[in-house]
Amino acid sequence: MIKHLFKLIWNKKKQNFLLITEIFISFLVIFGVFTSLVYYYRNYKKPMGLTYNNVWVINFQNNKQFHNTDSVTQYYATLTAMLKNMPQIKTLSYASSNIPFTSSTSTTRLIYKGQEIRPINFYRVGDNYREAFNMNLLEGRWFNHDDVVSSNRPVVINASLKESLFGNGRALGQLIDDSHDDKHVRKIKVIGVVQDVKDKGDYLPSGMAMYNRVDTSDMRYIGKLVIKVSPDADAAFESKLYKAVAGYMKEASVEIEHFSKKRESTNRSTLIPIIIFSIVAAFLIINVSLGIFGVLWYNINRRRGEIGLRRAVGASGGSVSGQLISESLILTTFSLIIGVFFAIQFPLLNVFNMAASTYVMAMFLAVAFIYLLVFLCSLYPGRQAAAIYPAVALHEE
Amino acid sequence: MLKNYLKIAIAVLRRRKFFTFISLFGISLTLTVLMVLAAFIEKVTNPVYPGDKNSRSLYIKRLTYTSKKGWINSGGSSFYFLTHYAGSLKTPVKMAIVSRSTSSNAYVNNKKIVIDIKYTNADLWNIANYQFIEGKPFTPDQINKADRVAVISERTRKEYFGDAVTVVGKYIEADNISYRVTGVIKNVPEIEEVFYANMFLPYTVAKSDYRNKDFWGDYSAILLSPSEQLVTKMRTEYEQMVTRIPIPDDMKKDFDTLHSDADTYFETFTRGFFGNADNAGYARFLFFMSLFILLFMLLPTVNLVNVNITRIMERSSEIGVRKAFGASSKTLVYQFITENIILTILGGIIGLILTVIILQVINGSGLIPDFDLSINPLVLLYSLLACLFFGLLSGVYPAWRMSRLDVVTALKAQ
Repeated sequence: MIKHLFKLIWNKKKQNFLLITEIFISFLVIFGVFTSLVYYYRNYKKPMGLTYNNVWVINFQNNKQFHNTDSVTQYYATLTAMLKNMPQIKTLSYASSNIPFTSSTSTTRLIYKGQEIRPINFYRVGDNYREAFNMNLLEGRWFNHDDVVSSNRPVVINASLKESLFGNGRALGQLIDDSHDDKHVRKIKVIGVVQDVKDKGDYLPSGMAMYNRVDTSDMRYIGKLVIKVSPDADAAFESKLYKAVAGYMKEASVEIEHFSKKRESTNRSTLIPIIIFSIVAAFLIINVSLGIFGVLWYNINRRRGEIGLRRAVGASGGSVSGQLISESLILTTFSLIIGVFFAIQFPLLNVFNMAASTYVMAMFLAVAFIYLLVFLCSLYPGRQAAAIYPAVALHEE
Repeated sequence: MLKNYLKIAIAVLRRRKFFTFISLFGISLTLTVLMVLAAFIEKVTNPVYPGDKNSRSLYIKRLTYTSKKGWINSGGSSFYFLTHYAGSLKTPVKMAIVSRSTSSNAYVNNKKIVIDIKYTNADLWNIANYQFIEGKPFTPDQINKADRVAVISERTRKEYFGDAVTVVGKYIEADNISYRVTGVIKNVPEIEEVFYANMFLPYTVAKSDYRNKDFWGDYSAILLSPSEQLVTKMRTEYEQMVTRIPIPDDMKKDFDTLHSDADTYFETFTRGFFGNADNAGYARFLFFMSLFILLFMLLPTVNLVNVNITRIMERSSEIGVRKAFGASSKTLVYQFITENIILTILGGIIGLILTVIILQVINGSGLIPDFDLSINPLVLLYSLLACLFFGLLSGVYPAWRMSRLDVVTALKAQ
């Protein structure tokens, strides 16, 4: 039966060529849309890894001229002490500019056992950073004041980086060459592992991350102060805080932002392009399905004689419409074979650095979607064919 | 002749309404998407307000050091760098030096206001055509005296002062410092990075010292040439000047080349996304844009070709008769392509109406503040070209198929 249908289609390959091309291109478009949807959805399902409510950041661009490192340390210690005196501030930590929900990134690489691992997000953060964001510590510990004197540079890594570096092995206490240290004297020492943090918003992956302790020499370039406030900290407090900070840092321009707001705007800038892309794709697909519907409908009208004959020799209405629907589904199969051949190159060549399973899932969804679309488009023409009366159809000839 | 084709085309369109609907639906939506895209690009790359002298201007935004080892380090330029080097050019008649905007907060009645601040020299007011709702810009004299004066935007006036009628002479506080308002301007969309700010202040009151001799800094420059013809000359002059700028001693260790370019407004965008220090990325932008448009139009085109072929086969008897009476293949091809172009133009008109509606919706939604999209003559021209291109593209293959139809089979078919 199926073999026979193949033959029918093959005999009309020239006529069907355009239809196959069209379904093929639609498949690629749908594959693209589903890949991004699956990608964003899978990221969305992962835990956030931090709490952002009641966490604020003070951005400052300090133009103050410092004479030496000691004066920098002294300057910021005074600010810290001043802020700690405010009862609404629970904890605070200085940080490099790549705090959560900003577009700023800083990446580095590590070479471990001859293997280069990159890109690794590189954060400089303070001792209370984990506490401010309530990050989930999986193993070991976070930084504390004793780390100033440690001979190796202590770092905290996230679960993804642990996975790429050590697999299932032990991470704590491991030493890694420091690519920032030209003399290869100091090594990096892993002191803790934290859960992955989706710091580019709900829909983007966390990537590998390495947290480093802000030291006194970094303070000159620091421009972010993360603070965790109590729930009763309102706009009046914020205004008071602002006056205090701006009053202290006379040479800086100061801005206070809330992480809950920053998260919203980061998510929006991820979602808007994908929504536009999906709407455009949806219109393309409606367009194509109307086209396929029209062409199938017309084809059936042209084959009235053939269908009439089949009915006359005893085929039921159901089997006639079944034949027509199967024909279009087989046609779809041809296109999908070509389509899948191209789509499978994406995971094979590792384009765009996405997990192979994302592509595979998107491929299955796209195949199912196209089959469903063609099935729906041929349903009505098929039923029309079933309604053909042999006497009328054969009479026309 | 053309009148006949037109009559036939309309008759055909009315015969099979469902197919006509499919064709028009596809054409109009495809063109709508392209027209909306064109309107966006037009708006982003051509700052009509306040950059009305855009065609005579060049923009210096980034200062980049590169080394043969492949290291690249890029940032804005300092006030010193721009006045010292770009300021010594002969061609420009004016040069605005404007900082990038930094956000600051003000609190009014316990409500937070975010104010984006820019520091500028006096030439900005001569180069850019800001519309003053009240008051006037600060003067060179006020800048020299480092007066704490500010020009604010309409939005900041509303947020800070409420619906007060006049605010010139009143004080506004940002970063804990009070500035006296000298003027209020109409809002500028944020996407026009060079021109956008909610509060303009004299560069002399900036918190970073403008006398700092580092090359890197927060500033960009807008160079204004006396006429459009001299823009190229101005650019060459700056290029030659940059090759003579000595690399500062503290950079010599790591880097061997300094790049700074005077770009057109369009190129400042393409350089950011498609180019690098050596290449403005204009050609790359055009290449990717055309590739995208071609790919995007592929599916609707194949669809239209498919529908068109189906419709032709329906008309095989008509074609057979015309052929039998001696019409050449060429005539038939012309006829069919004309019909198809009529169809696409019809679709284009519907698309245009849809575009106007969509742009109204986008403007009304406030998705992008102060962003007023519109269809201008250039966008219309592009759309018309796209229509013709689309019509030809989807008409040629079916017409060729039709013209090859055998007379006998064509007549027998029905």
